[in-house]
Amino acid sequence: MNRIYGRIQKSLAIKVIFSTVILSLAVTGITGSALNSRLAAGIKEVNLNSALIEARSTLFTAEYRFLLAQGEKDSEVQKVVDDVISSATTLTANENAREVVFIRSPGNTRKNNYEIASNLLDPSSIPQSLSERVRKKPDLVYQYTNMNYLTGTQVRGLAIGQKVQIPNAGQYEMFIIFSLANQEKTLDLISRLLLLTGFVLLLLIALITWLVVRQVVKPVREAAVIATEFTSGDFRKRLKVESQDEISTLGFAFNEMAESIEKQIARLENLSRVQQRFVSDVSHELRTPLTTLRMASEVIHSSKDSFDPIVSRSAELLVAQLDRFERLLEDLLEVSRFDAEVAVLEAVDFDMVQLVQRCADDLGLVAKKRKTQIYIKTVEPVIMVKADIRRVERILRNLLSNAIDHAEEQQIDVQIVSSEHDVAVGVRDYGVGLDENALTRVFDRFWRADPSRARIRGGTGLGLSIALEDARLHNGELEAWGRPGRGAHFVVTLPRNTWESIEQRLIQLQPEDYKA
Amino acid sequence: MTLVMVVDDDQDLAEMLGIVLTGAGIDVDLVSRGDEVMDVFRNNPPDLVLLDVMLPGLDGIEVCKLIRAESMVPIVMLSAKGDTQDVVKGLEAGADDYMVKPFRHPSELIARIRTRLRRTNADVSGLLTIGDLAIDVQAHQVARGGKQIALTRLEFDLLVALAKEPGRVFTRDALLSEVWGYRHSTDTRLVNVHVQRLRSKIEHDAEHPEIVVTVRGVGYKAGVLGGS
Repeated sequence: MNRIYGRIQKSLAIKVIFSTVILSLAVTGITGSALNSRLAAGIKEVNLNSALIEARSTLFTAEYRFLLAQGEKDSEVQKVVDDVISSATTLTANENAREVVFIRSPGNTRKNNYEIASNLLDPSSIPQSLSERVRKKPDLVYQYTNMNYLTGTQVRGLAIGQKVQIPNAGQYEMFIIFSLANQEKTLDLISRLLLLTGFVLLLLIALITWLVVRQVVKPVREAAVIATEFTSGDFRKRLKVESQDEISTLGFAFNEMAESIEKQIARLENLSRVQQRFVSDVSHELRTPLTTLRMASEVIHSSKDSFDPIVSRSAELLVAQLDRFERLLEDLLEVSRFDAEVAVLEAVDFDMVQLVQRCADDLGLVAKKRKTQIYIKTVEPVIMVKADIRRVERILRNLLSNAIDHAEEQQIDVQIVSSEHDVAVGVRDYGVGLDENALTRVFDRFWRADPSRARIRGGTGLGLSIALEDARLHNGELEAWGRPGRGAHFVVTLPRNTWESIEQRLIQLQPEDYKA
Repeated sequence: MTLVMVVDDDQDLAEMLGIVLTGAGIDVDLVSRGDEVMDVFRNNPPDLVLLDVMLPGLDGIEVCKLIRAESMVPIVMLSAKGDTQDVVKGLEAGADDYMVKPFRHPSELIARIRTRLRRTNADVSGLLTIGDLAIDVQAHQVARGGKQIALTRLEFDLLVALAKEPGRVFTRDALLSEVWGYRHSTDTRLVNVHVQRLRSKIEHDAEHPEIVVTVRGVGYKAGVLGGS
């Protein structure tokens, strides 16, 4: 039921047809049944009148003949009774069947008994109430009843009765019962015809409604389909406008909107393509002079001992800044790849634990300089994954460098957890931490927690945002937690097989050691 | 003296490369156009070619193919792009190694060049056999049933590295350090591409290698022909 209701709710056409049919059903039902009852009443009345006229003449004849047989012998009287019955029940072609019943009135104690019913009709077909009314009234009395035959058949009938005096036998009630079988049949036919007409009418109304609604709904539905395709990215779709009605106005308006959106998007796409292309070209073009610069600075640097201290220190700065410049260039290029969506994954099988260990070893010297130390805790000695090792290494290095930068001479805990499906690495430091505002921005490009902080490590400011992109490229996730003064916790979760997506977070983002 | 041919269209970089290499005791031949390379190459065959990818006249990948068609000289590509496609294209065209600009240190470049130039496997002597191949390490020759197979120096080194310890499984990192002289690099594309190239020359069916066998998830080993 709910499903049908749902369907009706969803389609305008079905909704309109449904309500039209329901309303028409009510209207045809009311008019049909009114018509039916009027017709039935009319037919019954006509039949009743003709039956009464006929009964009156028959009863009159019977009374008359009994009157004539006054004083005759019993056998003659019997003959008269038989005669009366046979003449009353004889039919002409288009008449209803009739039966005659004689019932001795109560209190009549004469010994001659003429109680009789024609054609095996059960005399009990005459209701008691009718008999009583016949006895009380001198005139004709009638009542509708069922004619029960001793053979078992039953027919609707109209019983008309009157008192008669049979010679030598006292008072009897004589009934003529008209079969209403034909009338019933006619009435039945009429109501069936009315029902059929109503049904056909309903069908026609539904059909007409459908045709009309379709004219309105079809363009609306087409518009909806095209709007959906438009939403899903096919901006070339347009509505067909064939007429000049309100629907076509809608079509025109829609098409104009589509046109303008398509232009805007094309313009923006072009702009961002040009921009990404520009960034990528700049990065590439910068590389060749940078290479020359690097080599020149190295040549100078290698003989710095022969310079005076100022020149010598300048050579050192030159080399260091070129390093930093180069890192920035690398990161910019990587970011431009992500923006252009041309970053590709090159998945290989490797051991995550070993990789974490190696990254920690490589950064060990830096960590030592900052008076911190990296401790690695793993659930398993070997965790094989299939991923882009270069990118995963970059994520780990970025997280570790970040932790070293903010550790404030406290230790750094690295945790590696794996399940059948996923692997997670959590990097926890207990240093300056992050406030709420920082947490929302920590992955933004060139964002720094504290602009006044010295850029000791000379990070590019792109590390964490690249790490996030790297994690997402693996269908993984990188999340950050932090509290001011309580340190920070970065958790990267990756599927162990690159092309799948992560099933669950293996490491709780809020560290267990932290109690709010 | 060793002669290195430097092909780069950037005059300043080429000059700087010249200064650094000359400082390291290496002679340098500078070429700035791709379509001039082959003339210079034939007139004065170098011991090694440093080849930029983007060149006027003829691009570096094409130049690499032309050189490979005539010579097994070591080729190191210089690329301003770290993008996979370019690197792999260069390696497939026949380059032995590549360096992405800007190089970390000039010394790195020189180390790379020396690795490519030195006679590797000087410790291995005599004849090695692997499968149905006979390898003469000293003569730098590989033969199957008396028929010579031409390999580049790097391919030869790769084959010898695997053949001198048959059965040992080499990780890609191990091969990178053994053959290319990298301490630790995570760029295993070098190994993959060269193994493919080596296989196409020495295997009966490169799709079903029997001499250089892949050990899934680990690396490669020298296989023994005919099973077990």
